[in-house]
Parts: sequence; C-alpha cells; structure tokens
Amino acid sequence: MDASSAALVGASIAVLTGIGAGVGIGIATGKTSEAIARQPEASGKISGSFLLGIALAEATAIYGLVVALLLIFR
Amino acid sequence: MSAEAGALTISERITEAVSIKTVFTVKAFGLAVPISDTVVATWIVMAVLVLSSFLLTRRLRDVPGKAQSLVEGLVAFANKFAEDNIGHEGRRFVPFIGTVFLFLCVANLLPMLTPVGGFGYEPPFAIKPLTRDINVTSALAVLTMAVVVFSALRSKGLKGFLRSFARPMAFMAPFNALEYAVKPLSLSLRLFGNVLGAFIIMQLAEIVMPVGLPPILGLYFDLFDGLVQAVVFGFLSAVYVAEAIE
Repeated sequence: MDASSAALVGASIAVLTGIGAGVGIGIATGKTSEAIARQPEASGKISGSFLLGIALAEATAIYGLVVALLLIFR
Repeated sequence: MSAEAGALTISERITEAVSIKTVFTVKAFGLAVPISDTVVATWIVMAVLVLSSFLLTRRLRDVPGKAQSLVEGLVAFANKFAEDNIGHEGRRFVPFIGTVFLFLCVANLLPMLTPVGGFGYEPPFAIKPLTRDINVTSALAVLTMAVVVFSALRSKGLKGFLRSFARPMAFMAPFNALEYAVKPLSLSLRLFGNVLGAFIIMQLAEIVMPVGLPPILGLYFDLFDGLVQAVVFGFLSAVYVAEAIE
C-alpha cells in the first residue's frame, strides 16, 4: 500500500469518531426532551446547558473530521 | 475515475473549492502582502455590518419604528443572554460577544446569496464561507481568550489570577495551564470543522445533483448549522468569561 492510499484509509478510520459524538448528542437530546417534558417552565435554562453539552460532545467528531482532512489534503 | 480529458474529477473539484486563493497582492514598504479571498469576504461582512448598524441607528426615536424595534430586540436579547450566562457583570461583555455573534451570523449566512453554477454556467462571483479558513476562526478564538485573560486579570488581579491555577490543589496547575491552550484550539477547530464539513457536503450536493438537492440540504447545512455555530461560539465565550471572572 502506498502512502496516499494509506492516508485515505487513515482518514476513513478517523471519521469513526463521529459514532461517539452521535451517541452522545442522542443521549443529550433525549434527556433534554425528558427534562423539558417534566419541567416546561425551565426550558430556557435546560436548552442553554443542552447547547453547551452538544457543543462539547460534537468536538470529538470535529477533531476526527479535521484529522481526516489533514490526511486527505496533505 | 472515468472523467473525460479536461473535465475535473469530483475530488479535484472539491479540492479546488476548498482551497483558499490569493485574489491580489498588495505591495507596501517593500513587502508583498497576499490578500486571500477570505480577507475580501471579511471586508464584505464588515461592510454589511457597518452599513446596517449605521443605517439602523441613524434616526433613533422614543417611539420605535420597525427597524428600531428590531435593533432594540437584538440588543435586549444580547443583554439578557449576557446576564443569564455571565452574571450581573455581564453587560460589560455584551459589545464583544454581540459583535462576534453578529459577525459569525453574517459570515455564515452570506454564502447563501452566492449563485449556484452548473450545466456549464459559471456564476460571475462566489462568496465562499470565510470561516472555512482556519486563520479566521483561530483569530476569533485568540481574541476570545485575550478577553478571558484580561477580564480575569481585571477582576482578580495578577496574584489572584496566578492563584487560580492552583485550584483546587497545587498539583492541578499544569492541567489548568493546559486549559488555556485547549480552549482556543477547540473553539477554533469546532467552528472551522463545522463550516468546512458543511461546505464540502454542499459542494458534493451541487456536483451530484445541481437541481433540487442543494436548496433542501442548504436549509440545514447553511442556514441552521451556520446560526447554531454562531450561537455556540457566543455561548462558549460567555461561559469562559464567566468562569474567568467568578
């Protein structure tokens, strides 16, 4: 395997970080809907911490994407 | 790839779209400063923001008209946002966080106005999302961290700032110091990665199916994702500032 095709394989492995982010954001969304259903009056505060949570959970997927892009556009 | 001679393959077209081109070069003081297309796009965003803020606040009245109530609503929203997330000191950071938020909103929404090519038609101009350039996002992140450090210095003093590294225990100091490198890194990479990923997907959609698909996908990737990233950037800077001055 030459270097460029190895880089492509590495890029596709790096994108697997999306699994973790997807599971994390899914759990966060589910819990947020539960919390809002239980206490609709607190929805402002809940969606604030939800935004922070998904931003942090999404970071892993973004790191995977950036690594993949670095490998592709070397 | 079975592309005929002369035509570009899909990956070549995407590489072409993602790459940042030098529009022109300014020669001053014996230096040649290359001006890239993201810098020109930044100028356009600045012009939009400056012009609209000038036009919208030109004739302020006690009884607001349509434009004035829009601006008043925005300012009230920013004030409430800062007070909710930072505390009673929040008003001081409204100008910075609000400017970054408006800049990112305009920067992420402006590319939607770009005409789409296809079927041999070449659009006369193209505004590409300027946050696909990591230089733009890292500049914003460094600016945010400068605000965080200065506000920490201002509210705690130099001694209190240095002491805050040793919390909760002295051996945590390296980790606390590392945070000052990780925060701007994750801020800039989040914005950069989101916008670039959405941009690549939109380019793919335009290549694969220029009719019908891009407007539908664009609702999510251009409109929704762009606004969410602007909100997230403003929200995270507010959280970092609140952490620094508490």
